[in-house]
Amino acid sequence: MDVFNQLIYDFAAWVDTHQWSTALHESFYVYNWIESTHVVALTLSLGMLFLIDLRMLGLAMADIPASTLARRLSLPMFLGFTVMIITGLLLFYAIPVRSAQSLWLRIKLVLLFAAAINAWLFHRRLRTAGQSWDTAVKAPVRLQVGASLSITLWVLIVICGRLIAYDWFDCRAEPSSFIATLAGCIADQEQF
Amino acid sequence: MRTIRLLALMLLPLAALYSWQAKGHHAFSAEFDKEAPVSLEGVVTKVEWINPHAWIHLDVTGGDGSTVAWMVEGGTPNTLLRGGVNKNSVPIGTSIKVRGYQAKDKRCAPACKANGRDLTFSDGRKVFMGSSGTGAPKDGSDPRDRR
Repeated sequence: MDVFNQLIYDFAAWVDTHQWSTALHESFYVYNWIESTHVVALTLSLGMLFLIDLRMLGLAMADIPASTLARRLSLPMFLGFTVMIITGLLLFYAIPVRSAQSLWLRIKLVLLFAAAINAWLFHRRLRTAGQSWDTAVKAPVRLQVGASLSITLWVLIVICGRLIAYDWFDCRAEPSSFIATLAGCIADQEQF
Repeated sequence: MRTIRLLALMLLPLAALYSWQAKGHHAFSAEFDKEAPVSLEGVVTKVEWINPHAWIHLDVTGGDGSTVAWMVEGGTPNTLLRGGVNKNSVPIGTSIKVRGYQAKDKRCAPACKANGRDLTFSDGRKVFMGSSGTGAPKDGSDPRDRR
């Protein structure tokens, strides 16, 4: 874990030396625009995703065939995801070291990984499930499980994202050694 | 029936979020103590003019001659610029007076932390250095506060 944390820290400290990273960090408008765009894109992508998930659970637009709904909503959903990922990376680029050592961002990335696997499994099940249930109110149970997991994971991801703003577990606040290891704090590191 | 269920399902996280927000939505109450106002007079040692919050570091000399390091959080570079200060307004070595509220975390490591409300220069010029709408006490320092 220490080697891993050191690698992450070295990478983040290297990013921090970039002129553009500093410019973004000190900018009067661009940082704020990126931050707002990240949140607006989130409402688009998760709005679409949750509608698809709720349709699978029979809780939204049950009179529309599930495959039709999923097909129509996935373009705006992926558009939102793309903007969200780009702006998210830029937010990291602006404040690399503190972000890399954020306990919340680390939890968020694990949850994002889980959500990605869940989405991949969901689409595989969707392909193999056939069309027989398409007009039924609820999707097959396996798809319902995936849809519920998707909603739960994304709610947690958004909460973790919001909590990155708070400094309770920042390395500067000298958290317990367990938290410090999870957050990736390096002993006697330079303060950023 | 389905509509009612959907409505309930959508309201549930909203209710949970509301109770959570009441505690932690505002950056102010999550990190700073409204019962601990501070008035700091000191010399600027470092300035971080960064998003999402600027930080002014200053050394405050107490009555007994000992020096305490403080770091005071301000608004964004943008709100500070609109308020009338930029990075060059507070060069290292400037004597300033800051009114604000101390952090809930009072360990003062590596420096005592506070949320800045207003900043007074030695020539008497006073500017609001916080952000509006953070839930900080309405103490008259924010010109946008409605009474």
